Amino acid sequence: MNRDTAVIIPVYNEGRVIKGVLKSVLKDFAFVICVDDGSSDNSASEVQSTSALFVRHPFNIGQGAALQTGIEFAKENADIKYFVTFDADGQHRIKDVHTMLSKLRTGKYDIVLGSRFLGVTSNVKRSKRAVLKLAIKFSNLMSGLDLSDAHNGLRAFNRHVADTVNITMPDYAHASEILETIAEKKYRYTEVPVAIEYSKYSLSKGQNTINAINIGFDVVLRRLTK
Amino acid sequence: MTIIIQFFVIAIALFVIKTAIGGRTSHAGRASKKIGLVVLAVTMVVAVIFPNLTNDLAHAVGVGRGADLLLYLTVVAFIVYAINNYLHMQDQRQTVIKLARKIAILEAKNKNKLKDT
Repeated sequence: MNRDTAVIIPVYNEGRVIKGVLKSVLKDFAFVICVDDGSSDNSASEVQSTSALFVRHPFNIGQGAALQTGIEFAKENADIKYFVTFDADGQHRIKDVHTMLSKLRTGKYDIVLGSRFLGVTSNVKRSKRAVLKLAIKFSNLMSGLDLSDAHNGLRAFNRHVADTVNITMPDYAHASEILETIAEKKYRYTEVPVAIEYSKYSLSKGQNTINAINIGFDVVLRRLTK
Repeated sequence: MTIIIQFFVIAIALFVIKTAIGGRTSHAGRASKKIGLVVLAVTMVVAVIFPNLTNDLAHAVGVGRGADLLLYLTVVAFIVYAINNYLHMQDQRQTVIKLARKIAILEAKNKNKLKDT
């Protein structure tokens, strides 16, 4: 059982699957923090029926905001050395989290990012793949990093990152913001191949491809107004 | 000749938009916006009383008619307003998010305390 790592899971209307996901994560990790982002379904009661820690936004804000809330809540526990962000829809594998943590434990990196394109991914739609590739190009251009995946929800980082990162983009643009922070604060980073299990459920929950335009707009505007 | 002047007018418009975004929180930034508003109002009054004046001015900067010049000014003013408004709303959103987060964390802490006792 792992006691020095907090697994942060933002939850928004995942009542159908969240309990199963939590159960499998709780097998390996003692500190699982579920941030309910103002769900209107039974997510809250499902989470509270497990031993996961439960933090609830009073209203829906967005995944980025939920992550920041989870990080700030986890930070208050002095035993926590490492922080993992994990998606609620069951598309990530615990196995990959352990690989990322072992990288982090070497002390060579501040943050380890999961990448879909270094590993084998099952059933990514071709159109989605094209948009993701384009997003990576854009993201690398904006952040100055060299990554193979721009918007992967699986990340592991140490306390230095948890103390200095500040996610202000409440919605999906937070992923780009994290990458910009990596470049700006000069975190030592690396990527680890992870597999994503795109189920019918996780695909239905995934963000719409057209949302890339919204994300791009916010990223550019934030750069201009800095 | 006209093209050079048009280039300057466009450059000035972009400069105005950029300063409006950049200095939105500084005193100077806020003051310049108020001055801009007054200038726009005065220009409008003057333009109504002396319609030929705007025409002369338009010709001087390489724009066809006075009405066009006023339209361009209005467009620049609108863009400044729209961007400012958007940014202002984002700032407010951040404040609300911070508040909500504080509440969420306090609530969670309280609940865990109750569990322990």
